[in-house]
This record gives sequence, C-alpha cells and structure tokens, in this order.
Amino acid sequence: MMPYAYFPGCSLGSSGYDYHLSLKYVTKALGIDLMEVKDWVCCGASSAHATSHLLSIALPVLNLSHAEKDGFDKLIAPCLACLSRFKAANVELEHDDDLKKKIHEVFDYKYQGKVKVYHPLEVFLEMGLDKIRGRIQKKLKGLKVACYYGCVLTRPPKIAQFDNVEDPQSMDSIVRTLGAETTDWSYKTECCGVSMTLTRSDMVLKLSNDVLREAKEAGANAIAVACPLCQANLDGRQRQIEETYKTRYGIPILYFTQLMGLAFGAYPKEVGLQKLLTSPREVLGSVGLM
Amino acid sequence: MSILFSKKNLQLSRDLQALTGENVMLCYQCKKCTLGCPSAYAMRMKPHELMRAAQLGLAEEIYWSGTIWICLSCETCNTRCPQDINIIRVIDGMREMSKKLDYYNPYPVIPAMHRIFMTLVGRFGKVYELGLALLINLRMLTPFKDIDMASPMLLKGKLKPFPHKSHGARELRQVMGRIRKLEGAK
Repeated sequence: MMPYAYFPGCSLGSSGYDYHLSLKYVTKALGIDLMEVKDWVCCGASSAHATSHLLSIALPVLNLSHAEKDGFDKLIAPCLACLSRFKAANVELEHDDDLKKKIHEVFDYKYQGKVKVYHPLEVFLEMGLDKIRGRIQKKLKGLKVACYYGCVLTRPPKIAQFDNVEDPQSMDSIVRTLGAETTDWSYKTECCGVSMTLTRSDMVLKLSNDVLREAKEAGANAIAVACPLCQANLDGRQRQIEETYKTRYGIPILYFTQLMGLAFGAYPKEVGLQKLLTSPREVLGSVGLM
Repeated sequence: MSILFSKKNLQLSRDLQALTGENVMLCYQCKKCTLGCPSAYAMRMKPHELMRAAQLGLAEEIYWSGTIWICLSCETCNTRCPQDINIIRVIDGMREMSKKLDYYNPYPVIPAMHRIFMTLVGRFGKVYELGLALLINLRMLTPFKDIDMASPMLLKGKLKPFPHKSHGARELRQVMGRIRKLEGAK
C-alpha cells in the first residue's frame, strides 16, 4: 500500500459524495492508501483570492502543513479548485521569498514546502496503464465518452505542470484502457463557469450548454469529468439547460473514477451511480453495464 | 474617447505593480486574452481593454464596467498571454483594491458572495453549500432561485441540510485574524 495524504475538500463531503465513494473504491483496488488530512479546512477556492492574496495562499498552506507535520510528502486533491490552489501555493512560496516571510509570520509552524500535490489522474498515470489493465474485469465496450478536463487541471502550465495544456490526453488514455471509445472534441478544457454558479446562473447555463452541445455533436453518449464542480454544473443543471435552450441532451455525467470502478467490477451502488441526477441507466443499460 | 494624460495616470499601474508584482505596461494588445475568454461575451470592458485602461490609469472606467467581477478565473488568458502577464493576478489586485475604494459596481452581489463565502468558511471551517446558496439568494432577493436543482440534490443526499464543522475551524479563524492584522497594518 502506498500512503497518500488525502484532501477531500468541501464538495466531496456533500455534492461530490459519489466522487469520494468511487475514488476510495478505485484507489483501494490499485493499492493506494488514502489518509484524510487531519482537521482540514476549506482551501478558499475562488473567493479567497478575490478578497486577499495572502489569505488565498495561507488557507492551502494551513492544510499542507498539517500533512507535512504528519510526515506525508504526497497529497491527493481530487477537486480541481482545491488542486489548483494547493499547487499555486507551493509554486508561489518557492519563488517569492517576500510572500514566504509573510506566511511564516502568520503561522506558528513553518511549512517547508515538502508536500507535493497530485490529482488522482496524475497518480494513476504514474502507476502505469498496465496496472489499471490488470484490474479490469468488465470492458466498457460500446460507451463513447467525451473526456471533459475542466479549466484548471492543466492551466496555467507553470502551476499545473501536467499533461498538454490545450489538448490533454491523460483521462482519454485511461478511459480507452477501460475499453471505451473516446471522442475528439475541442471543449475539453473550456470553463463550465462554476465560480458564478450562485450569482450569475445565466452565464453558467450558457457555458455548460456549450460543453454539452459540443459533446453531443462529437457523438458522445457519456461525459467523463474529473472535478465535483464541473459535475454539479453539467449534471445538476442539465434539466435547467434543456429548458432554457429548448433541447434534449440526457447525457449522463460520470466521474472517471466511476467508469474505472465499473470496469473493475464494482456494483453501481458502490461507486455512487444512484446519486447522478441525469440517470445513466439508459446508456449503461444499452451496453450491458447496468 | 480622448484622455488628458499626465503623471497621475501612471499611478494605477504603479499601485498594481506594488500590490501584485505584475507590470501591465508589458501588454501590447494582441487580444489573445479576449479571444480565449469564456466570459468576454458578458463583459462590457473586454480583458484586453481592461489591460489598456490599466496602462492609462482609468480606474473609474474599469470599476464601472464591472469586468473584474465577471472574470471566472479559468486561467485561459494567463496561459496564452505572449508577454506572460498574470492577468488574473491583476484582476484580483483590482478586486482587493476595490475594498478601499468607493466606485460604483454594477454587480455588487458578486463581491458580496465572496464575503459571505469567507464568513461561512471562517465560521465552520468548510463551505456549507446550502447555507451559502440560501444567503446569496436572499441577498439577490430571489429566495427560491435554483430550487428545481436543489430539491433533487437534497433528496439524493448530494446537499447536506446542516453544516458540518471542521475541527480545524478555530486555527483557521486565528490565521484569518492574523492576516487581517497584517494587512491592516500595511
């Protein structure tokens, strides 16, 4: 077992609980041990950096120093908002001595910058596709998946340091390994608009509609995501989008970990498929997976 | 628009550089930021226009357009800028500066959302999604907005009806207090 510090973030306790379930299932199957960071707090997401730069660095550092104190040097953050805040904190502390001094003034514990932050995709790819192939019990034949990476998994490259910025392939390669087909499409890294989800829902509906429309046009019958916020927008608001734009999508939005879990032979309930608002029953049923 | 240019106009870019370390004068208006921006269609002042206005010191025009609040922080502009300007850092700097300024803001709900978000985080140590949505809906005078999305999520257990408190909340409030003190002393 490889121990990793695990920062679930606020979403995975509530709206992204299915992501939590499926991630736990998949990591267990692959021999990765997730240890939740002790007494973790919110990373500040997009609100902290809109109010104070120092605060937006301090909140991730608070969590990172908890992990460092407990002896971890690797941390998994499955939510993209958390992930990019954590990575930004590490990079900025490394390059900005002034900021480092200020941060050390704020904290009693002096964070050394030893904890490296990963998205589950990075960890799985590092282990190798062969390891994933070895666990597969049921190939996902017949599924045509559009892999949607979201905004900050690869951007900006200076901070994310992962995959191709404009045309990432990591999730595609994993989903193809599971036996499904992936589509070529140009909205992989477009923004779903989540930071305005409560205040400017009209913008979110427009941006999420663009993503759904492009996926459908590319011929996908399911979308795979890697972030609970993208999922909440594309899945939770799909009904609203269909009403606003007078169309019908009915595309299930699954976490890539749910697809992995299904291929590893999990029952749908074990990876939280019952929690999706747009039911995957029809699509998965038609290819004999549910 | 004609602008009478004086030394005073340089103040904004200097303030921004002092606060964020970013030099807006490097921008040569290639418009890559605007062309890639997913929310540019909703902006009255597009990202490249904002950079130009910052060079010219037109703070009032920038704040009046409300552009800094429409930005989604998706990092597309930062990725594509050939001059490597951190445009979001500039926008965040203007957001930070707006706390001490008194300009008109066409979208007051968005900074209010950020404040409510941080207040709830300070209280519980985590985001309380349902409470945050309710408070913002009240602030916007549309209490039942998105109820068609929230009710199935509640039924499926995807939204928690009550907040969950983190044991780290106390330490978090201590850190927030120290930062406020540090920034206030500046």
